[in-house]
Amino acid sequence: MKKLCIIFRQAPHGTAHGREGLDLSLLSASFEQEVSLIFTDEGLLTLLKNQDPESIGCKDYIATLGALSLYDIDTVLVCQESMQELGLLEANFRIAVSMATATEISTHLASVDEVIVF
Amino acid sequence: MSKFIIQVNSPAYGSSSSYSAYRFAKAAIDNGHMIEKVFFYQDGVLNTNSLNSPASDEFDLKQAWVDLHDNHGVALINCVSAALRRGVLSESEAKENQQLHWNMQAPFIMGGLGELVTGIETADRLICF
Repeated sequence: MKKLCIIFRQAPHGTAHGREGLDLSLLSASFEQEVSLIFTDEGLLTLLKNQDPESIGCKDYIATLGALSLYDIDTVLVCQESMQELGLLEANFRIAVSMATATEISTHLASVDEVIVF
Repeated sequence: MSKFIIQVNSPAYGSSSSYSAYRFAKAAIDNGHMIEKVFFYQDGVLNTNSLNSPASDEFDLKQAWVDLHDNHGVALINCVSAALRRGVLSESEAKENQQLHWNMQAPFIMGGLGELVTGIETADRLICF
């Protein structure tokens, strides 16, 4: 078993990065890897409630975020600085997350085996 | 000696990072390391399209990957779901989807994300491009 950290840093619907990152996250967890997620930069927008991706012809893959705990993905870190830049609050998010400073994110990255950025 | 797995996320043309991935793989092998496999994900699957036709005086990255396989036995694996969405099909997917044509180059093969994850488990290090 390896510790994988998957970083989401792009907005959810303009590209397929977020969707393919989430696919890899769930698949890795189902292969018994220890998976953690970090949301930073515009990747934070993935977490917002009340999105309607189908209205722009996209599959609603973000509904799958609700399944993270079923896959035992319990560590979901959100970059505090990006939160402030985007003017978001924890109450805006559809799932429970942990706020993390840049230092805490660095410490976490140093504790995992592999980092994959989407 | 280290064992690497390489993930390629960018197309063969239009982005330099898949070329960097190839150069990394080649340099690693030339320096006595092992490339467990190259896994093509996201737009990286476009590296495996046999219809890629660079001009005659341009670097043929698809062919370079094929040579890497032929000369060093490196497995070249496409994420099948990423490939299908981007119009890269092997003969068997073409038949399953009632398509008359297919375009994935041999010896690239289709696989699942599971092959990436099992590769990550057995390799010393994953390198993403």
